[in-house]
Amino acid sequence: MRWVWWLVAAAVLVGAPRLLERAGLPPVSLLETGLLAMTPLALAAVGECLNEKAGLVNIGLEAIFMVSATVAVWFAEVGRSGYTGLLGGAAVGALLGLGLGAVSVYGRADQIIAGMGLNVFALGFVPFLLISLWAFPGIHVFPNELMVPRVSTPVGQVSPVTLAAVALAVLAHLLLHRTVLGFRIRAVGEKPEAVDVAGLRVDRLRLLTATVGGALAGLGGAFLPLGWFGALVKEISAGRGFIALACVVFAGLEPLLALGAALLFGLADGFASAVAVTPGVKERVPFYFVAMIPYALTLGVVAAVIGRRRFPSTVGRPYARE
Amino acid sequence: MREQAPRVQMRGIHKVYPDGTAALKGVDFRVHAGEIVALLGENGAGKTTLMKVLSGLLRPTRGAIFVDGRPVLFRNPSDALRCGIGMVHQVFTLVPPFTALQNVLLGQEGTGALSPLPEASARARVAALLEEVGLEVPLDVPVESLPVGVQQRVEICKTLYRGTSVLILDEPTSALTPVEVEEFFRFLRRLRDRGAAIVLITHKLREVLEVSDRVVVLRQGLVAGELPTSSATAEKLAELMVGQLTALRVRKSPRAPGKPVLSVRGLTVRNDQGRVAVRDLSFDVREGEIVGVAGVEGNGQSELVQALTGLRQPDSGEVYLEGERVPFVEPLALYRRGLAHVPEDKARFGLALGFDLVENSILGRQREPQFVRRLGRLNRPVILRYAQDLVRRFHVVAPDLATPVRSLSGGNQQRLLVGREISKEPRLVVAMHPTRGLDVASTLYIRELLVQMRDAGKAVLLVSADLDEVLELSDRIAVMYAGQFVGLGPADQFRRETVGLLMGGVVPADDADAARAPSPH
Amino acid sequence: MRTPRALRPLTESLATVALGLVAGGLLIWAFGHSPVAAYRALAVGAFGTREDLLETLAFATPLMLTALTFAVGVRAGLFNIGAEGQMYLGAVGATFVAGMVPMPAGVHLAAATLAGMAAGALWALIPAVLKAWRGAHEVISTIMCNWIALHLSMYLAINFLAEPGRAERTVPALPTARYPVLSEESTLTAVLFVAVGFALVVYAYLWGTRAGYELRLAGENPDAARYAGVRPERVVVLSFVIGGLAAGLAGASQVIGRPPAWSLYATLGNVTTLGFDGIGVALVGRNHPVGGILAAVLFGALAQGGRLMEYEVGVLSELVRALNGIIVFAMAVPELWTLLRRRLAR
Repeated sequence: MRWVWWLVAAAVLVGAPRLLERAGLPPVSLLETGLLAMTPLALAAVGECLNEKAGLVNIGLEAIFMVSATVAVWFAEVGRSGYTGLLGGAAVGALLGLGLGAVSVYGRADQIIAGMGLNVFALGFVPFLLISLWAFPGIHVFPNELMVPRVSTPVGQVSPVTLAAVALAVLAHLLLHRTVLGFRIRAVGEKPEAVDVAGLRVDRLRLLTATVGGALAGLGGAFLPLGWFGALVKEISAGRGFIALACVVFAGLEPLLALGAALLFGLADGFASAVAVTPGVKERVPFYFVAMIPYALTLGVVAAVIGRRRFPSTVGRPYARE
Repeated sequence: MREQAPRVQMRGIHKVYPDGTAALKGVDFRVHAGEIVALLGENGAGKTTLMKVLSGLLRPTRGAIFVDGRPVLFRNPSDALRCGIGMVHQVFTLVPPFTALQNVLLGQEGTGALSPLPEASARARVAALLEEVGLEVPLDVPVESLPVGVQQRVEICKTLYRGTSVLILDEPTSALTPVEVEEFFRFLRRLRDRGAAIVLITHKLREVLEVSDRVVVLRQGLVAGELPTSSATAEKLAELMVGQLTALRVRKSPRAPGKPVLSVRGLTVRNDQGRVAVRDLSFDVREGEIVGVAGVEGNGQSELVQALTGLRQPDSGEVYLEGERVPFVEPLALYRRGLAHVPEDKARFGLALGFDLVENSILGRQREPQFVRRLGRLNRPVILRYAQDLVRRFHVVAPDLATPVRSLSGGNQQRLLVGREISKEPRLVVAMHPTRGLDVASTLYIRELLVQMRDAGKAVLLVSADLDEVLELSDRIAVMYAGQFVGLGPADQFRRETVGLLMGGVVPADDADAARAPSPH
Repeated sequence: MRTPRALRPLTESLATVALGLVAGGLLIWAFGHSPVAAYRALAVGAFGTREDLLETLAFATPLMLTALTFAVGVRAGLFNIGAEGQMYLGAVGATFVAGMVPMPAGVHLAAATLAGMAAGALWALIPAVLKAWRGAHEVISTIMCNWIALHLSMYLAINFLAEPGRAERTVPALPTARYPVLSEESTLTAVLFVAVGFALVVYAYLWGTRAGYELRLAGENPDAARYAGVRPERVVVLSFVIGGLAAGLAGASQVIGRPPAWSLYATLGNVTTLGFDGIGVALVGRNHPVGGILAAVLFGALAQGGRLMEYEVGVLSELVRALNGIIVFAMAVPELWTLLRRRLAR
């Protein structure tokens, strides 16, 4: 069944540019926006694929996006470089991921509730940070030279972070399926008891994926202001953390498929932003409905594909020797 | 007799679980190279806990372990493995989608974390090991698609590949047919003769007498006795195990069965993986008889029971209760027509562990008019009285009715459940593994209740992996193999050995009459 | 120290809240303020005077309802974090009936309340149906529904409910559709009693009826529920509908039960995040309707006191929400108090 969906996606990718051209939306700029929107989703989704393969689930990706985005800008301003910001964002993400992993592994926490706790925390902490760091509640515009510069490619102006996201997806795939470490990660998600009696450390493997997953999500969060928007607002991630989760589910925890899913959602996002700004189109469609597109698409995808996916049998369940 | 120090010696082992239960209260245990020690005991006697301590999975609260005379401290299973101690658990620790080779390799890859999995080079070594000890295992098939008996071989291979010379086996025969057990014991003797130390955890006296060299009996966390197998008898071991000699048999008088209550015709059911688990099955259960279904687990018994009790949709076939065709997957409709169901896993299906006794006493009966008032309100006073009655009638020991069922012992949970089902005044009782994991007293009590039901003219379908239970209670016996009954007939036509062969799918020539599936009528 | 078993949930909840306060204090300190001063201001702001206390209750009102949404979900084994969106639609529904459909006094108030509840329940049906018949994970689908609801509600508020000449908010509720103000010095209205009453009704329903029993059974043990003949789809829909009614009422309460605006802001600013706040309230209240009422008062105090804290000490009141998150995070760890108790006992 899955291949049908990818076929549909491919048909849309091939057919859409013509239609868009006719509607007055230039496909190249659409692809550029699509790739930008893909990047944070792909980063977070690839990391979460690893995490869920190991049997953990991180519902707090949204929180990591929000906090990392904010802290990344601060790092960029202090270090006077966008790249410093990206690193800072990834580091904060790794910390949050590690924290969530630790309560899941050692505290045997309910991972969904802990993740939601992180989200609620971010909801309050990020505005608090904005005020504390910049004494400005609404939007914080940082100097343009802190933006991570884009590079020219055949498909338009592309951020190096986007290229990194693609590379990381490939690396994650190779890691999972071609290395001993990936072999162990897959084992710990399916049967932690087997890993335990084999003398390997269940806790370390899971903390590792939680941290790596957090770091990738943190990089994605840092990318939002530093690679894409050029400014910081408190609702900067706008549900993207959950869309990334939908990508993971859609992809059945496979990093390469997650990259594809992220591209699909990214294009929808790009399409929405294009519709919202293109003269001649934007007047005809109420902005609010355009803004709904990514969410409605996610809802549709979640409803259409899931249910029959095979997941590691222990996702979200803490492991304990009796 | 033996001059050399024991391979492994455990002294004064105590283990108190975090919830306060003392599982071991000062146990001494040793095993020498080249011997098979049987660790015998009832459920909850502490056998598995003791061996989990020895294999590094649990840390003892107190006590010392010596390997070859040197004190050791195991922080985790790999510490124990380094001393050559490995354990095969009752619940397998295989990664289901991985192949046998991959399962053997896990943790023994022998390369850096980022290098590729060295499957090719390991294959030769694993194959050589299998050859050497005489085990046959397909290496390249996902283990989830292998039969349980073969999965067990993968487990053993996994342990041996790690250089184990002290092999601990936890109830290894529970999933094997009698024929497979024989073969398995030959393998154990071979291993022993090559100098391995083997600990066999079991509660089956027959096996102890057959294969072990020495027996250690545990009772309530203490060593109740230790003796060479040559001087042991079944009676003596049983006494050590349960404390006193009890009449383990349920008394049962002959009784002529009446008309059919349950009729199954051409039932075909698939399992969760979509494979046919029950194949075109037809049989009757009549008033006043217990039909016992024996068989190795995984031959379609669960699917059969689930289909009959409204928990699983069959592919095809018909089921009649007292001559009327019943709908599938509608448990309430079945209950209304007189079904009582003692499910295979009480904690999973039959009880809500977080609910108290009162709420559990109406589980499945919550829609009966006597318990519901106007506007769908629950009739508290009536329910309370009913729960009190259950507790009294079926001797459920609980601090009070508001106690969550989670904190009751397994025996008391099962008493509550069976009591609830029996108090429905059913026409048909379907019970699966009704005494699994229970203490002796509760086991006996539950078996007596089933016989009482039969004597009161109910039809009873008993599905159990415990062959002795089936032989003891049944009026007619069926043996389930690969989704079909390979034998169905009066209990007195079945000898233990016959049933054993049938369980392995072997139809013995001299018992062909009994084994030929008779017509369902 | 030994506490009786029955009191353990209460002490654990309070201890978790205390833990959250300590963590929040560290944050306050890390950003250069005095935690003592901040918390003193918070306590004074919440309980200092009669009017503060009433205001605390006003803040508690919607929280006990959105907590109910989450709690009923958990009791049925679901993570319904869609209170936020269901609440937006509830506010829109109530605003429409209260502001644009004139009716006689008495009837009007009831109609506006019910309109809000119905709108919330209808919106909850989307994830309910997707869950029951498609197996769509409710966490993702409710969050997506929240975002769609945000844009949909803003669209409706601006295009259909806007007050002429005032872009920032909708038409106010007509006087016939306003809950009576209980005390002129606060924004507390009689909608508090409706909220408490609704929570008690849900409590009676869950613990006193057959349907409620089946709902809780499905949450406690889905397999046992199948054994007991409970249809899982019905439980999913039922719990989402109850949750939607509660969230819808919460939304309505902020329009027809909260002066001085008596209307919905076009940004939805007077309702946003109340749905997410309910998660922590529900958890501290042990996913029990009555516990939720008590916990809501506690969180209402934090919200009300947070205003004075911001004014006097300069610690942004948003920090209270961060604190809420920390509390949720800590509540997720079932072993926390068991572990601590064991440490202390040693």
